[in-house]
Amino acid sequence: MAACYGAGALSSLLARWSGRLALSVGHLAALAGALAGLSVSLGVLVGDPGHPLIQPLPLLFPFARLALSVDGLSAYFLLVISLVAIAAAIYGPAYLRAHSPEARPAQQAAQALALNGFLGCMAFLCCAGDALTFLICWEGMTLASYVLIVSDDRDGENVRAGLLYMVMTHGGTALLLVAFLALTERAEAFDFAALRAAAGDLDGTTRSTLFFLALGGFATKAGVVPLHVWLPRAHPAAPSHISALMSGVMLKVAIYGMLRFAFDLLAPADAPLPSSWGWMVLFVGTTSAVLGVLYALQQHDLKRLLAFHSVENIGIILIGVGLAMILWRREGAGGALATVALTAALLHTVNHAAFKGLLFLGAGSVLCRTHICNIEELGGLARRMPWTAGLFLLGAVAISALPPLNGFVSEWLTFQALLGGAILFHSPAGLGIVFSAAMLALTGGLAAACFAKAFGVTFLGRPRTPEAEHATEAPPSMIASMIWLGAVCVALGVAPGYAMGLLDAPTAKLLQGPGATAVVTAKGPLVLSAALTPSGTDATAISMTIVAVLLIALTAMAWVLSRGLQRAARLAPTWTCGMSPTSRFDYTATAFAKPLRLIFAALYRPRREVTREIAGTPYVIRRIHYAGEVVDLAETEIYHRVERGISALSQAIRARSTGHIHGYIGFVLGALFVALLLFGAG
Amino acid sequence: MTGGRPLGLVLLEMTLLVLLGPLVTGTIQKLKARLQCRQGAGVLQPYRDLAKLLRKSTVQADTASGFFRSIPVLVLAATIAAGALVPVVRAGPPAFPLGDALMLLGLLALARFLAAVGALDAGGAFGGMGASREMTVAPLVEPVLMMVVFSTAAAAGTTELGTLAAHRGTSWILAWRAADLLGFAAMLVLLPAETGRIPVDNPDTHLELTMLHEGMLLEHSGPGLGCMVLASHTRQIVTLGFVAALFFPVGLADGASAIGLLLGAGAFAAKVLALATYLGLVESSYGKLRFFRLPQYLAIGFVCALAALALRIL
Repeated sequence: MAACYGAGALSSLLARWSGRLALSVGHLAALAGALAGLSVSLGVLVGDPGHPLIQPLPLLFPFARLALSVDGLSAYFLLVISLVAIAAAIYGPAYLRAHSPEARPAQQAAQALALNGFLGCMAFLCCAGDALTFLICWEGMTLASYVLIVSDDRDGENVRAGLLYMVMTHGGTALLLVAFLALTERAEAFDFAALRAAAGDLDGTTRSTLFFLALGGFATKAGVVPLHVWLPRAHPAAPSHISALMSGVMLKVAIYGMLRFAFDLLAPADAPLPSSWGWMVLFVGTTSAVLGVLYALQQHDLKRLLAFHSVENIGIILIGVGLAMILWRREGAGGALATVALTAALLHTVNHAAFKGLLFLGAGSVLCRTHICNIEELGGLARRMPWTAGLFLLGAVAISALPPLNGFVSEWLTFQALLGGAILFHSPAGLGIVFSAAMLALTGGLAAACFAKAFGVTFLGRPRTPEAEHATEAPPSMIASMIWLGAVCVALGVAPGYAMGLLDAPTAKLLQGPGATAVVTAKGPLVLSAALTPSGTDATAISMTIVAVLLIALTAMAWVLSRGLQRAARLAPTWTCGMSPTSRFDYTATAFAKPLRLIFAALYRPRREVTREIAGTPYVIRRIHYAGEVVDLAETEIYHRVERGISALSQAIRARSTGHIHGYIGFVLGALFVALLLFGAG
Repeated sequence: MTGGRPLGLVLLEMTLLVLLGPLVTGTIQKLKARLQCRQGAGVLQPYRDLAKLLRKSTVQADTASGFFRSIPVLVLAATIAAGALVPVVRAGPPAFPLGDALMLLGLLALARFLAAVGALDAGGAFGGMGASREMTVAPLVEPVLMMVVFSTAAAAGTTELGTLAAHRGTSWILAWRAADLLGFAAMLVLLPAETGRIPVDNPDTHLELTMLHEGMLLEHSGPGLGCMVLASHTRQIVTLGFVAALFFPVGLADGASAIGLLLGAGAFAAKVLALATYLGLVESSYGKLRFFRLPQYLAIGFVCALAALALRIL
């Protein structure tokens, strides 16, 4: 695997001859690397889950021995990375050639190099066996993705997005560094086993402080509200297959870090996790889910809309993770329910990777054929790009958590775990959990509304611009990679029971209890069941397979019924009250989302500006200009305030800085004196 | 706890729901007509309308994509599949696992999503308007419905409708507690929203200011429209059956005896008739609410559902 990514990176040197060649070879190497990763992870998950695969690395630093260790959890995330990486590697060359045909060879080489570096770092991060490898890969992942974000720069916007991304994620990395170094200092070693042992002796306050530091770091990378502001800017800026990787996979690496840190490294031996951890994660997860989808609803840039949906889906994953933290090692049915919650979170991880990858690739196909991202200017693409439209619709149904696709499965498990947790608690805490479930239902409904809008306005109706009018279907290799992810969505939706086998090792390893198959697919591979009560007698069981078969049979019957009776359809223009229909009669995305914008006005603070140009008298209007926008509450309420505070502070400092060297020496001496007084005695 | 319902019975119940769906609509229309001192069309009128639609030819918008003609078929299939999850004549889970209350809501949401997508396809403003309004009301209704389901599921420990009905007991004496009353009150508030009736939606009008669901049907014609109309009839009876299974599982047969099943069918008819009468009465005595007053109306349901849940869990 390493060899493949390394070869991919080296292949960028080919750019001296031809950028095209560098792209092809680079992506081929990435594909080979992804396939290797897939085989390694399947080997660990299916073969012998009990024994982690340990591979020592060459001695890079004199002070630390580095090693890779692939246990169930690592292998599972490696699998998620590989699934999307395969699609991205197939999609990439055709996309980059179609999207930016005039790119310089050096730029293409940089993209191939950064892609391989990005994938390699993510893969090795999940396999890291020590803190040093983990942090080096973490930083490598950030830097490589930064290069990819700014690689496609046209108007300077992407550079600004990249800068924000760098600042935010490095803030997060700083928190992680503190958390990890505090542990490594106590352990006097870097490998995870030593850290685990060192964490065993921590007192409660230190343990919680370290956890919240790490949570801050991981949450920044995962794009949790209110640390999400970089995400909707940075993800759309990258080329689309990189957006798919960043949204579908990179955010999950942060989830991996969170799980590894909380359940494996920092967890107290044989005791439940401190309750504040789980509640905090549940709370931020719920907030992210609801706010993410609400802001997505008002976005009209297709890729930005998808990026906000990543915030939402990370929230849904965190609801599962938080619930697992709350329920873990509680008496009664807590153990089994924690397994259900963690299974739901991990399943949603792979589900989100599959459908978000698919949607970003679909958006990329639209983008490379029309060079338009604003859905108000698209329309009518379903007739021109039928494959892309069909696959995008598949992804839209999946992400809206509608049966019979995979999004529904993981949300169903999350609902079952939430309900079970609520029954278990029988206190105001239980009510809080149920409230979280109601918010999850709201999220699902809003996501469906959002994707009805996104799909309908982009692909249906009439084209609104010449670019959309003259769009053609995407190249076959791009369609093929979308079909691959679509097939993953369908397979995980229709027969999720078989995926539980892969989830067995990570859940059993993390929770040191029953694995996913023992709890969720106890009644056979085609049946999902979850017991809500401690006695476990009245398990609720559903079968996605039978429902899917029923749906197909009914569709076939209804088809025969309506087709058998139908004569050939007559085509006629749509009735538009007597006027000749043009694309201006199509409902726009702004109009579609308006009712919800008004209902949730408290969160959006919508601004609306209508200017009328009149011809002499106010009754004859020549032109109406409309401008409207909604604000991101976190951005205005937190970030702008911080920004203003920093500006004010630096103004104040500038007033004090006179330019005299004596003054500065005085400051330094004073600071030294205070430091000696404070810390010198100890 | 009763034995499982065999496959044949589940399919029979599903077919029964599809066949009786238009009759419920016809009954409500007749009731409304009588309350307005009109004679009204016969209760079988919806069947005649359906037969007429299925015989007609199709006129399709020239801008519509290839999806347009499969949308009615898929909407109908998803709605009927939801019908398979409702216990009609007998309590207890199906003999093979199928789906639960969440799956039922999910399938109805799938039908609604597809209908909204289809409405945007023809490229007229009315379809988009209908789709936008329908997809605005749905996310507000869904969480409350889910909370009502949770408030009953918290007592029974399952979300499977047949098991829920069996747990509540099929005795003729209702053993309701305060939480059930509140949950049922929330359900009564939500019923017009879920079945597309006044005060949330008006099924009798095609005025652009008032229509929600009808706006999405405007561009469909012939058998396609027939499928969409049959889907709304089915959706209505499925929702009524869902409420009946959650709150009044009275009369459902315990065993497989023919008399028990017939009794169950009779009880089901009575329950659906009672709920249909409620819908007809509400529709005759109230006006349609302004669209932006709907969140406040639905908030009543939310408060009731939250109180029901709080009573169950605390």
